[in-house]
Amino acid sequence: MSGDRAEFEKFLGLSEVLTGFTKFRLQGTGQGALYFSTLTDVVGQGTAGELLQAWSGVAAAAGQDEGKLERLMRSEILSHEKLGPIARNLIKLWFVGTWYQLPAAWREVFGTPERDRSFVPAASSYVEGLLWPTIGANPTGAKGPGYGTWADPPNIPKV
Amino acid sequence: MSHLSSRISRTDHASASTQIYDAVIVGSGVAGSILANELGRQGFSVLVLEAGPGNDLSIAEYEASVERFYLSASKDNNSPYAVNRNAPMPRGQETVKLQPGRPNADGYIVQNGPLELDSTYTRVVGGTTRHWEGKALRLIPEDFEMRTRHGQGLDWPLKYETLKSYYAKAEAEIGVSADVEDQGYLGISFEPGYVYPMRKIPISYLDQVIGKNLDGAKVELDGETFSLVVRSTPQARNGVPHPGYDNGKGYVAPSAVSTHQDEMGQRCQGNNNCVPICPVQAKYDARRTLVKALETGRVHLLSQTVVSRVHIDSGNGRVTHIEYKAYKDLHGKEHSAGTVKARVFILAANAVENARLMLASGLPGSSGLVGRNLMDHAYLLTWALMPEIVGTMRGSQCTSGIEELRGGAFRRKQAAFRAGIHNDGWGWATGAPYTDLLALVDDQNKFGRALQRGLVDRISRQLLLDFMVEVLPDPANRITVDPDHRDQLGNMRPVLSYRLNDYTLDGVAFARQLSRRIYQRLGAEDHTTYSPQEPGWVDYQGGGFVIRGGNHWAGTHLMGSSPKNSVVDANQRSWDYPNLYLAGSGSMPSIGTANTTLTLAALCLISAGHIAKELRSAPTAAAAR
Ligand SMILES: Cc1cc2nc3c(=O)[nH]c(=O)nc-3n(C[C@H](O)[C@H](O)[C@H](O)COP(=O)(O)OP(=O)(O)OC[C@H]3O[C@@H](n4cnc5c(N)ncnc54)[C@H](O)[C@@H]3O)c2cc1C
Ligand code: SF4
Repeated sequence: MSGDRAEFEKFLGLSEVLTGFTKFRLQGTGQGALYFSTLTDVVGQGTAGELLQAWSGVAAAAGQDEGKLERLMRSEILSHEKLGPIARNLIKLWFVGTWYQLPAAWREVFGTPERDRSFVPAASSYVEGLLWPTIGANPTGAKGPGYGTWADPPNIPKV
Repeated sequence: MSHLSSRISRTDHASASTQIYDAVIVGSGVAGSILANELGRQGFSVLVLEAGPGNDLSIAEYEASVERFYLSASKDNNSPYAVNRNAPMPRGQETVKLQPGRPNADGYIVQNGPLELDSTYTRVVGGTTRHWEGKALRLIPEDFEMRTRHGQGLDWPLKYETLKSYYAKAEAEIGVSADVEDQGYLGISFEPGYVYPMRKIPISYLDQVIGKNLDGAKVELDGETFSLVVRSTPQARNGVPHPGYDNGKGYVAPSAVSTHQDEMGQRCQGNNNCVPICPVQAKYDARRTLVKALETGRVHLLSQTVVSRVHIDSGNGRVTHIEYKAYKDLHGKEHSAGTVKARVFILAANAVENARLMLASGLPGSSGLVGRNLMDHAYLLTWALMPEIVGTMRGSQCTSGIEELRGGAFRRKQAAFRAGIHNDGWGWATGAPYTDLLALVDDQNKFGRALQRGLVDRISRQLLLDFMVEVLPDPANRITVDPDHRDQLGNMRPVLSYRLNDYTLDGVAFARQLSRRIYQRLGAEDHTTYSPQEPGWVDYQGGGFVIRGGNHWAGTHLMGSSPKNSVVDANQRSWDYPNLYLAGSGSMPSIGTANTTLTLAALCLISAGHIAKELRSAPTAAAAR
């Protein structure tokens, strides 16, 4: 496995925990590679590497223990001054296909990467946002569910 | 226009300037397109001048708009449409809180206040229907007689009965889906045997849940008792054609502008995105009518052509020609100026732009009413969480509403309103569902499956009621121009002064009270809040509300019975300049509680008949001068 490939696998593993969707489902959006490169393009290889390394540590320490995984996600990543906001941005990217500019507080301390502004990486990113299937709806303005479907009770996947 | 029929005849600025057209129309929105189509079909030569881009009317151009919407991080009303410095348009986010006495000149419309107004329109081929929502309600008969019946506002120079058959024609032109059985309330009547072109759009599951709990609820107002009912809303989007239409001849649902893709222009898919753009063209937009007009072979279209001045012969009071600036691209100011001539001139640039153009041409009208009496519906949004999951974010933006309080004796004291039930959740009020995601992730520290559950809990129970409240004509509410505020081409921008009076605010307050009662009855959690820091805030009896714009600009060239009380007559003809027509919702002396487009379409059908008669009766050469 090449270094990049390994990093990408870590990225998917982290995304799985952040979003609650399986790797398979995440890959099904076709956005995985694009989001991985979005991450490295915006915050840089170094910072992206730090995040993925922190994730590897969390994953290894937690093993199959879900409670521990959640605690470590919070203590090592989500509450981490530098990595937390980036992880939250990944959640948003997966759910609505938008990279939001990092918080002002983050930018003051860790710098203002040139590509760090709010943007949608590709038109398909919006369409493939995971928010919509989560709420049993289709992305507004894409993937029309079909005439009259709205008259039926919603079909929301159980979580 | 490769896919369009070969009957279409094209022109360029040079040859257009050498012709004398029967009619020159300013604006290719629904008003201009209907007039162009009607006149073209009757054999008249027509030139449509359109400020915005989009000449090719192709699927590629349409898809580029859809893609621009997908790629926009803000997804505002005008996000599918590129920024155009030569024919700028208002964008909702330009409306910011005003400091007393200080206008906001940062957006396209200069806002003088005192009240901010976040209404918009679109300057592209096809106009604002490119991103309208498509609600197509008729006015009710008493709306035409506000002064006589309620001692408020103004009477129209025509009555509902006169407009009735034109409403039916307009419903065919823009393709309205509704059932007559649902729509005959408050005196609305139909021609014998009438059915709408298409069956009603199925009402959403959310509407059904609300109806089950709300239907029959009683409301007392000014001694009258109203019994509420959740009623399906007539909409200009493709449903199932009514087999009984036109005495059993049936109705062929209008197809998309380009028929390259089978699914285009088909039945509504429930994409919930009618504003700002329907991805499958199930919703009417004026390009449908425009293409028909072009296919007559007698209608020419010149886009990227901003009309800058109307010229009058001071001797005979007739319009001699109009002047335009045609620009090369959306950014640079490179342009060429020119003039065009016609026997009649029709301004169909919308209520704001018609007034702006008249005033920029130094034509305030002998009554001084051009630009005054600007009206727009005052929207009060209220929002709540239903006690159960109702599947928010499915269907078109609204499929039902509550109409009972559109009319009644109470209108001598306070404004009427209707309520729209939103299938798209709290989006309009709070920016849902994006803001919900951000709150869950950033503030509630949710991730993984807990986040998913949070999203369902927060979004799939959302209910928003929009109360669309009547606004009366007030001469102080107006569009003016100011030489200090110009766009890149040097055209003066519209300057807006706007306020709301107690008549409307009493209606707003009543609507807020009613929304509380509705939520109590539904067992819904009321999450409505208004802040004085927001634009649109109005003080009211120690509290206040935030009023949102309705995008239903009207009244700026209102019609009436004499040159003293109005700008145009019942045919939308200028009292001052006999070969000039001002067409669109600017002609409406009242807006009642119906979104304006269906009514303005009906008015344009009346005008088209009248103009055709005039053109036929006037000897060509004499009229041309
Ligand atoms: C978000 C939104 C939702 C809406 N929803 C509804 C609804 O549900 N129901 C409803 O009835 N109405 C609705 N409306 C209102 C509706 O869109 C308008 O009433 C309608 O489009 C007006 O048609 P028009 O042809 O008069 O003007 P427009 O559609 O505004 O067309 C005017 C045209 O003139 C062109 N023009 C302007 N200035 C010049 C110039 N100087 N020279 C040349 N051309 C010029 C413009 O570019 C434009 O193409 C909505 C509007 C908005 C913004
Ligand atoms: S709900 Fe969707 S398919 Fe239907 S008209 Fe609106 S945007 Fe088009």
